[in-house]
Amino acid sequence: MILDLERFQAQARPRWTRLESLLAALESRPDRRLNPAEAEQLQELYAHTALDLNRVTHGALAHDLRQYLERLVARAYAELYYAPPMASEMWQPHRWLRIFTAFPEAFRRQSRYFALAVLITVLGCALGGLAVRYDPASVDVLLPANYLRNPGQRVHEEEKGLSRRLPSAQTEAAFSAHLITHNIQVALLAAALGVTFGIGTALLLFENGVLLGAVAVRYTQQGFGLFMTAWLLPHGVFEIPSILIAGQAGFYLARLLLRRREDRNVRQSMREWLVLIAGLAMMLVWAGMMEAFFSQHHEPVLPYGFKVAVGTAELALLTIYLLLTGQRKTGAGARVRVPSENK
Amino acid sequence: MTDFQPIRFPTTAELNIATSEGVIFRLPLAAPASRLYAMLFDTAIVLGAVNGVGLMVYWLFAKAPGFGFMVITLAEFAVGFAYGALLEGFWNGQTIGKRLFHLRVIDQAGLPLRIEQAWVRNLMRVFDVLPFAYLVGGIAALSSPLMQRFGDRVAGTLVVRQTPLAAPAEEFWTRQKYNSFMDYPTIAMHLRRAASPELASLIQDALRRRNELAPYARREIYRELATYVQCEISPFPDELVEMLSDEQYLINAAGVLFGANGCRAFTVNH
Repeated sequence: MILDLERFQAQARPRWTRLESLLAALESRPDRRLNPAEAEQLQELYAHTALDLNRVTHGALAHDLRQYLERLVARAYAELYYAPPMASEMWQPHRWLRIFTAFPEAFRRQSRYFALAVLITVLGCALGGLAVRYDPASVDVLLPANYLRNPGQRVHEEEKGLSRRLPSAQTEAAFSAHLITHNIQVALLAAALGVTFGIGTALLLFENGVLLGAVAVRYTQQGFGLFMTAWLLPHGVFEIPSILIAGQAGFYLARLLLRRREDRNVRQSMREWLVLIAGLAMMLVWAGMMEAFFSQHHEPVLPYGFKVAVGTAELALLTIYLLLTGQRKTGAGARVRVPSENK
Repeated sequence: MTDFQPIRFPTTAELNIATSEGVIFRLPLAAPASRLYAMLFDTAIVLGAVNGVGLMVYWLFAKAPGFGFMVITLAEFAVGFAYGALLEGFWNGQTIGKRLFHLRVIDQAGLPLRIEQAWVRNLMRVFDVLPFAYLVGGIAALSSPLMQRFGDRVAGTLVVRQTPLAAPAEEFWTRQKYNSFMDYPTIAMHLRRAASPELASLIQDALRRRNELAPYARREIYRELATYVQCEISPFPDELVEMLSDEQYLINAAGVLFGANGCRAFTVNH
């Protein structure tokens, strides 16, 4: 077929200009919604311009024209096939508050990955604990920090408040911010390491478990078991589960990547991963505040029994929240299926 | 609108999308260098904003530096993640740096980026940034046919070039009143048939960018191109060529390849 390029451009240029104007108008709107007349006009102009593009696609000498039409068709295609969220829906408070129920629901749906994270951490704990218990030489390797190797000195400093330089509330505020950001970063890394098909996530959880087990046994060996429990429990009951949930998110991500071709609802799966991240971030904010403002106070300011009781109560509330809040689904199918999108 | 999944197939530096209507269009992928420049620019903006807020906070909390530190630490952390995610999610897949360098993040099906994709690709930075200076992300992008770092692979996104394009204007060589090459229709026809699309584009670009080239470079490029066309493609008579400068030779050749004097038609294969 022979195409008169000049005449072709002269005839088609008005509709390209119309399409450009329509696209510019749509793209400048915050909600990018089309009314029926615009949708019809866009569809018609898109179809014609796509036909124009097909006509010049194999005409290699019209390189610029082809590029221009491709860009135009790509923009029109995006407007036609993309349904952006409504701005009015986006900013409704209940949509954002939904995270508080969506998180435990997602946690329960992906509970098998949580179980895997717990298993790996427990294995790490066992190894770290046994190593410290039966191989004293391993203490220097597993617990490089002096305050972990020699709990007595640490306990003395903590109980006397020797490590505080600024007024207490200020120190605690600064410390809580540091803890929150650091812990969220570590948790995010554990979740992101899912891209290594879960291997990185597993290693991180295992390492975390080894350290936890080693510290627990070391403190208990030296007679500071109660101090350690009172010290770690108030924030640890949120911090440790949140790292486990990060591991859960990491393994879930690994599953997504391995089975992406079979997963027909990638968007929902990504949302599930994001919900887990948002939930664990909220938990870590609480853990950071507890660690800075509560856990660092020891006897005689706060009796150890009281701290342990607070930690236990927190654990009970967290368990109830994660297991009972939101919609409850039963059956094997409910475990892997993500809910249908809210429209 | 539809469940149809467009077929995508990457080439060296572009993504081809085949739509349900049978239309194929290409999206040029962003080069790693321009992505790096955009990222450095965005980093400068974030650091500037955080430090600006930091100065204000330190001033406000002069008597309570611990609280000031808390506010700054949390703000820095939140801005670091939210800057990219919010801007890309709500501003057409672009941050300020990306807009400046004409880049845009899109869904790998050729559609606009969704908000959750923006969050996923930005949260995944904690991995891409490892062990330092985006080494993991950089290697992943360079080894990926779609130039995707891990965050992009997980989120199903990619970064494309978004240079504004206007409808091509009429070129000056198509308006020549007289083209001496047209006095030799057989040779001119041979030129049209034998010139590859790459050669035609090269001649077109060389003429268009005439004023961007330094005089020496222009002379050399035009001489090489004219010599190549004359020797390898279609030898016009010496008595004609000797009267023409290399630039005029190329203008005439472009007039034959793209011009209106009976040469404006080209074949379209269907």
